Amino acid sequence: MSNATHDPATLAEPALRTVVFRIERKQRAAADGSGGWGEYEVPVKGHTTVVDALEWIKNHLDATLLFRHSCHHGSCGTCGMIINGVQKLACTTNVIELVAAAEEAGTDTTIEVRPLQTMTHIGDLAVDPTPLFDHFPVGASYLRPSEANKKAEIPEEIDHYVRFENCIECGLCVSACPVVAIRGFMAPAPLAAYNREIDKRPERADQLLPEVDSDEGVWGCDRHLNCSAVCPTGVYPAKHIAMLQKKIQKRRDG
Amino acid sequence: MSHGHVVVIGGGGTGAAIVHDLVLRGFTATLVERGELTSGTTGRHHGQLHSGARYAVGDREIARECMDEVRTLQRIAPEALEMNYGLFIALTDEDVAFAPTFVEACEESTIPTREIPVEQALRMEPNVNPAIKKAVQVPDGTIDAWRLPLHFFATAKHNGADIRTFTEVVEILSAGSAVTGVRVRDLATDREYEIKADMVVSATGAWAEKVARLGGIHIPVTPGPGTMVAVRKRLNNMVISHLHPAGDGDIVVPQRGLSIIGSTQWKTDDPDTVEVPKADIDYLVKRASDLIPVFSETPIHAAWSASRPLAGASSNVEDGRKMSRDFIAIDHGTSDNLKGLISIIGGKATVLRAMGEKTVDMICSLFGVEEPCQTAETPLLPHRAFYNSRLAVRPQEVSL
Ligand SMILES: Cc1cc2nc3c(=O)[nH]c(=O)nc-3n(C[C@H](O)[C@H](O)[C@H](O)COP(=O)(O)OP(=O)(O)OC[C@H]3O[C@@H](n4cnc5c(N)ncnc54)[C@H](O)[C@@H]3O)c2cc1C
Ligand code: SF4
Ligand code: FES
Repeated sequence: MSNATHDPATLAEPALRTVVFRIERKQRAAADGSGGWGEYEVPVKGHTTVVDALEWIKNHLDATLLFRHSCHHGSCGTCGMIINGVQKLACTTNVIELVAAAEEAGTDTTIEVRPLQTMTHIGDLAVDPTPLFDHFPVGASYLRPSEANKKAEIPEEIDHYVRFENCIECGLCVSACPVVAIRGFMAPAPLAAYNREIDKRPERADQLLPEVDSDEGVWGCDRHLNCSAVCPTGVYPAKHIAMLQKKIQKRRDG
Repeated sequence: MSHGHVVVIGGGGTGAAIVHDLVLRGFTATLVERGELTSGTTGRHHGQLHSGARYAVGDREIARECMDEVRTLQRIAPEALEMNYGLFIALTDEDVAFAPTFVEACEESTIPTREIPVEQALRMEPNVNPAIKKAVQVPDGTIDAWRLPLHFFATAKHNGADIRTFTEVVEILSAGSAVTGVRVRDLATDREYEIKADMVVSATGAWAEKVARLGGIHIPVTPGPGTMVAVRKRLNNMVISHLHPAGDGDIVVPQRGLSIIGSTQWKTDDPDTVEVPKADIDYLVKRASDLIPVFSETPIHAAWSASRPLAGASSNVEDGRKMSRDFIAIDHGTSDNLKGLISIIGGKATVLRAMGEKTVDMICSLFGVEEPCQTAETPLLPHRAFYNSRLAVRPQEVSL
């Protein structure tokens, strides 16, 4: 492939500044007396994300750092973490923006990163997401009609334009949900998947609604709305839980 | 009874397809990946389900293989694809003059094309540059870069494959001139241990050279990273490509609520230390705007890069090329006198299943077993089944 943009000079642009990352590394605590935290200085550029910074640490400072990542553009859902106290995707969280926000608030610019709660801990920032899938509906489709360019004509070969569901199964909502932390609850993302499935295939309502009609299901929601606040792809799980409640109510009312 | 134990190194799309094929053909299989699955090149690719149209003028055989695999994936993993077709659009008179060559090459590669009148094309894709001079429809689509491999991993796991993440191969073990297994480090516990194997397959893409070195073998592979940029709005439903000889920044792939332009290509020494050059971001946004003018006014969502393995010249690479034009399968028993080690390099995410088939064909012949490949006819389990066997039900199998 030809490419005019790549003389080495453009590849090596200078870093804008150095940012300190404070990373929770519980399993190292006993071994090295670090108290379970590691501190790293990372040179960052305007477009550096938290995942870019973690890769830099792994490649330049400490090869033992564990974290999950795959797509680097907010689509796979593997890189959820707690960044400065908030559940976020590391790959779409810009470092300079975090620093600027801290400076504006007059707080410490150190970026603190911890693993997601409510998943099984593997090590450092890496978790096993298996618990997230405990309560998803069986046989739910992952495709939906595309909402883009709604009135557009379509190719002869298809019925409508399709796209993947918004939910990337990152578990940020589950980690942020205060109900999940205190009692048995099917959790926001799985419940949202129930509502999406019933909306797409109403013929499954009789089968699926009873599965969520309980105190561990839709009636467990206390409407803290943390799930909708942290969801990186605009699923608004709390809205889906409310819609499920309405569907159940409507069936009861006849 | 198992035909033998095969260890697959690398949890990208290639490793996923190999391990799935191995267990279906009666091998015992263990896959080891040093990070999360698809944390190498696979998870980060552009997400285009290639009909092969992009390659047809250059290489009909590669194009035909893509088209075959598009048909197969639609059968075995429809939920990992946004199958909305693609438009190749001509922007200049030169592009228009290239169109007949393009269409003929597609037809010779079994890729169905249809010329779409310009007004209709603009009704199908209202954000496309209104100055287009021609539009040709092909069966392109979008892949979920993480969930398509996960379909393979889920099915392989269900069929008994042992898949270990955060497990890095630190040495390829051998006795005399035969491989006996691998030594791995469990990165979560820092514990090292050995896994015995009758055969070891390295499906480590841009890391193939580093991994071959663990067995004392040299393969000249240079990582060739490329950048992609996503904007935070789905501007198109079909894959929009520039109708011209394949080049940089000439494809916009839609995915979920995003549109993604890619890619570029340069060379580096180490696939682990690749950063995104700012110049690439500016260049790609500009190129995307030639195809879809509003692209440059849409907020950038992410910019990232992924590394292709660029194979250099050496006798083992030349041996390996005989297997396929698109990817290289090296039997180090014949080319480097180390029996029981195979390296797989290259290919495309679209043709992962075919790469798995050809690799396991090679493994079968080395083991002297005859087992036909079944992966083209075996529907894959949904991606969520990887984490929960209760979810091993395909949407179309739900009974009411
Ligand atoms: C910029 C770009 C865009 C692309 N776009 C498309 C596209 O749109 N459509 C398409 O079909 N194809 C596309 N491709 C091609 C596609 O991404 C690759 O062909 C495919 O992902 C290769 O998969 P792989 O499994 O061979 O390699 P990888 O996915 O890189 O897997 C290798 C794995 O090996 C692991 N590994 C390395 N060393 C060790 C070790 N010592 N121990 C254990 N594990 C190890 C790595 O962590 C890695 O996960 C693109 C490629 C690039 C570079
Ligand atoms: S609902 Fe949103 S936050 Fe929850 S798992 Fe899905 S994408 Fe993540
Ligand atoms: S790496 Fe895929 S969502 Fe962040």
